[in-house]
Amino acid sequence: MVKILVTFCLLNFTLYADNVYERKCVVCHEKLPVSLQSMFMKYLLVYGGEKNFKAGLKHYLKYPSQHISVMSKLFIDNYYIKNKTDLSDEILIEAIDIYWEKFKVFNKLK
Amino acid sequence: MLAGQRDTLSKYALIQSKRLKVLHQFFDERTLYPRDPRFKSAIYDLEMMQIFSLLEDQNITLREGIYRNKQRIHYVNRLTDYYLGAKYLVIEVNDDGLWQNTTWKHIMIYGLVAFLLFMLLGLYLAKLFLKPMRDAIVLLDRFIKDTTHELNTPLSAILANIEMMDQSVMVEKNKTKLNRINIAAMTVSNLYKDLTYLTLEQEKANFDEEIALKALIENRAEYFTILAHSKKLLCHLDLEESSIVADRRKITRVIDNLISNAIKYNKREGSIIIELRGKKLSISDTGIGIDETHIPLLFDRYARFNDTEGGFGVGLSIVKMILDEYDIDISVESKKGEGTKMVLTW
Repeated sequence: MVKILVTFCLLNFTLYADNVYERKCVVCHEKLPVSLQSMFMKYLLVYGGEKNFKAGLKHYLKYPSQHISVMSKLFIDNYYIKNKTDLSDEILIEAIDIYWEKFKVFNKLK
Repeated sequence: MLAGQRDTLSKYALIQSKRLKVLHQFFDERTLYPRDPRFKSAIYDLEMMQIFSLLEDQNITLREGIYRNKQRIHYVNRLTDYYLGAKYLVIEVNDDGLWQNTTWKHIMIYGLVAFLLFMLLGLYLAKLFLKPMRDAIVLLDRFIKDTTHELNTPLSAILANIEMMDQSVMVEKNKTKLNRINIAAMTVSNLYKDLTYLTLEQEKANFDEEIALKALIENRAEYFTILAHSKKLLCHLDLEESSIVADRRKITRVIDNLISNAIKYNKREGSIIIELRGKKLSISDTGIGIDETHIPLLFDRYARFNDTEGGFGVGLSIVKMILDEYDIDISVESKKGEGTKMVLTW
């Protein structure tokens, strides 16, 4: 009974997680050795401002390629590049916005 | 002037960018923005949004380079890698004005040295370029001095013999010839007097006395009558009694030169008007006139603007020297082709 309850809770948590970012991004990235924070900083280093960052990330998620990836060759050799996203533009933008808000540097420096 | 500060501030920017690089790598374990007691800094992203700032003066213009803002100097550096998403790194230091004093000091010192060097160079070049001209003037002066000595005896002999000749026994043809000889001798005599004054007499002490100008002018006009008649000139004298305290020789040279010029540069059958009113003497002619651009150069020694008449170009130079000595003002009114009027006021 307890096992059933735990499984149900986990399934429920996964399916109805807080937001689209948690549901569509975090789930897969949790399995990777490089954190989403670290990847954010790599994107930030390349793209700079918010608009540029979001546009660059969206483009990569829609058209992944090792030539435009911000990850190292070693990482790509081991984990390959991600598959092309099947998310709609609307959901993608929402996920990226959440990602930006979560890790942005603004208001975090002291 | 801020170039000296630029080196220091770009060095600070380099140091700060390296610190940002480290912070970027360890973000968000470390979130303390790097500080430095020597300067304040701020970072802005590609869209010119402020990421973080420690600046005291937030009034920033994100154009690359260095500029002053009130009491602070801002240096804007574009980062090639967007550490923490920053495109612009702004370094701020207080402007204590010391650099300005140092810069002014440098400008003054180097400016003065450069000025002195250019002055010396200019003097050297001027001396070099003027040497041929100066040599020519020295040569001319020496020539005039040497020849003046030799002119006196033959000229006196000619003039004395002309005076002694009995014209009543001469035929009219010979009288005319003698008259021409007399005019030529007078012209040479006048030139001789100028040259003697220039080379020998001008350094002699003055014998200032009260000169009755009316009598003197009449005397000099009489002296030049033969010369004036040779050009069929009409001479109008309108003289009031007037006097001046000066050396008679010198005032005679002035009047002689002005009358002589009025005759020399007059048209045939023209006229000369000499007016003396109170402390004003004017001598006008109806001659060829002088170009307006030449008037300021009229009193320069060896300055000649007309080759139709002979001369060395020393007459008016002597006139000016003498007038300056006695604070007598001279003005020239002239119209090309209509005539010239010389006005002396004292």
